[in-house]
Amino acid sequence: MNNSCYLGIDVGSISTNCVIITPEGEVLFEIYKRGEGNPIKSVQQCLAQLTEKLPDRFSIKGVCTTGSGRILAGAVVGADVIKNEISAHARAAIQLYPAVRTICEIGGQDSKVTILRDGAIVDFSMNLVCAAGTGSFLDSQARRLNITIEELSSRAMMSENPTNIAGRCTVFAESDMIHKQQLGHEQKDITMGLCNALVRNYLSNVCNGKEIKPPIVFQGGVSANKGICRAFKDALQCDIIIPPYNMVMGAYGAAIIASTSCIEKTKFRGKEVSAHHIITKGFECGDCPNYCEIIEVLDEDELIGRTGGRCGKWEGRTEPREALKGTGPRGSVMEHQTCRQVGNVPDLIQIGVSKKYRLSDK
Amino acid sequence: MTYMAIPNIGNYTIALATAVESLGIKAWASTATTPEALKLGIAAAPETVCLPLKAHLGHFIEADRAGVEYAFMVNSVGTCRLRYYRHMIEHILKDLGLKIKIFGLGFDGFKPPIVRHFDPGPITFLKPLFHTALKIKVIDKLEVAAWRTRAIEITHGDTTLLMNKLLVELSESKTMARTRAIRKKVAGCFAEIPVDKEKKPLKVGLVGEISFLRDKCLNKNIEYILGSQGIELRNFFLLGEELKNITRIVFLNQNKRKYLSKVADRYLQCTVGGHALDSVAHSIHCADEGYDGMIHLCPSGCMPEVSVRPILKRVSKDKDIPILEMSYDEHTCDVGISTRLEAFADVLMERRKKQPARPSRGEGN
Repeated sequence: MNNSCYLGIDVGSISTNCVIITPEGEVLFEIYKRGEGNPIKSVQQCLAQLTEKLPDRFSIKGVCTTGSGRILAGAVVGADVIKNEISAHARAAIQLYPAVRTICEIGGQDSKVTILRDGAIVDFSMNLVCAAGTGSFLDSQARRLNITIEELSSRAMMSENPTNIAGRCTVFAESDMIHKQQLGHEQKDITMGLCNALVRNYLSNVCNGKEIKPPIVFQGGVSANKGICRAFKDALQCDIIIPPYNMVMGAYGAAIIASTSCIEKTKFRGKEVSAHHIITKGFECGDCPNYCEIIEVLDEDELIGRTGGRCGKWEGRTEPREALKGTGPRGSVMEHQTCRQVGNVPDLIQIGVSKKYRLSDK
Repeated sequence: MTYMAIPNIGNYTIALATAVESLGIKAWASTATTPEALKLGIAAAPETVCLPLKAHLGHFIEADRAGVEYAFMVNSVGTCRLRYYRHMIEHILKDLGLKIKIFGLGFDGFKPPIVRHFDPGPITFLKPLFHTALKIKVIDKLEVAAWRTRAIEITHGDTTLLMNKLLVELSESKTMARTRAIRKKVAGCFAEIPVDKEKKPLKVGLVGEISFLRDKCLNKNIEYILGSQGIELRNFFLLGEELKNITRIVFLNQNKRKYLSKVADRYLQCTVGGHALDSVAHSIHCADEGYDGMIHLCPSGCMPEVSVRPILKRVSKDKDIPILEMSYDEHTCDVGISTRLEAFADVLMERRKKQPARPSRGEGN
């Protein structure tokens, strides 16, 4: 009996998800956890839950992290592959629905649309600087209505005559919503109106100019909201597929990527990491006027990784700080072995430097 | 010693610094906007102006705080808001109560005010200018070599390191002879980097607003991110090419823009300013040359680049070439950029797997 399995971790803005799969792609466990703004702790808690659930006979053969916190999480658990979430989500959707042509993914602070043809991504788009088409929008409005996000979902489904709410901007949606409340609209109609507003915003901002063709798979944290699914169906006039692991598709995709990337020996640091005392420490590089903020991830006293920096010389490196200080830009996450000491070469050249001083040095 | 702050155009700032010496003064500059300068600029500028203006403004504020007396900024180039930049910056600096004096430099007469003010002798004036032209050529050569090598290097970072080393050397070079020696060794140095010759890297063209094409602080080091993912780049702003174009206009009456507008004629007939025409024409050109994809860098609020966005979408569809649109402002976060770029690289890789033999006409240079 084959006891190997693969772990995918998706560290998003709102939630941290873990999925464990068998080499055949069957999901053993899934964990969806809303993070409290501490990605390291969330990852550790996920691993702790995993330790409880996963029988000892299974051994993890590969780990892939994804999501906006992928590099930090990768350093904490010792990831073999670090992948962007667009590819991870697409990988998961293709695994479950090979014929998929559009993936709508709405997460906490990101919303994306991915266009696929013949099982390959051909185009994608991501929201820019606006959160009006994302889960945060719903979260903040639910808080305003003093109901939980689950209640918002169920109430929206009861609505028969949705209110029209301006969804261009989260702030103005709120004032419009207050206005409608005070006009006496029913709460269920307002909640459905909110769902419609979010979908309208998503379709006009993120999907602008993209060919949305069925089959459409809708995933990400927001896909658990039935009101949004209903709004999508109304707006697109076609059926929307909600995959079985809709909340954790990113992590599922990451796990599939881990299982297919021929890892010989995993760098996974073990489930025990959950009990370790992991802290981060920031310092300023100061080798050039970029003054990058470098974050060091420390497990007790052992340095397990660094993130940050523009030139790439700190990223993922675990040599002592003094050894890297004053060296030139070099290295990427995978290149621990081939680093060499070099002379002092800054990433940014200054001319007339004698007169330049930092304001904070004053 | 009198210092003059000069605007940032990426590595070409090194060459510009030499040009300033022709006025008998010294330059004060850096090859990328420092985060500190950007912060100052954002605080001082109106919120809706585009990021390049904020970057330049911050740079000049920082210069003033460091005790620099003069600054210069381009005038009247292109038909976008860039022509008002100097006046805007001048006014803002004045409102802030700073003493730095800004000269304009553009097509303003045979002896522009900046030259009249410092009034250098003919020899002091001309020699550094020739040196500047030479340095620009060397930097062009460095850039082109770096795009190629970075995609296929075996140890990540080798190219960037060598490039930075040579740039430091170049910025310290005071004589034409030394600069020529650097030019000679560029090819050799890059050839020494161990590369994977078998690798067929993806080829991507970078088009868009020039400050973003050049300033690695503003574009979040896009060349490095793409290069280390094994993508061969072609950045469509080379100062040497632009200068060549100007000399062609003056002496041969051949304007590259005429050629570009012919290429882009089906999509764009009128002038929209800035480098918008270049963006469209180069995208069409790259599609014909068999590039794998294009990346369009556009500061949010940049009128010319924003107006060609729908056109680029059309080009992308007609010519079957993926074009990634990147919109930048001061809130753009690094993770968002690298996520998009990584996903774009994945898309291109999948495309390549499906159609391994894309027609390729010649080398992309």
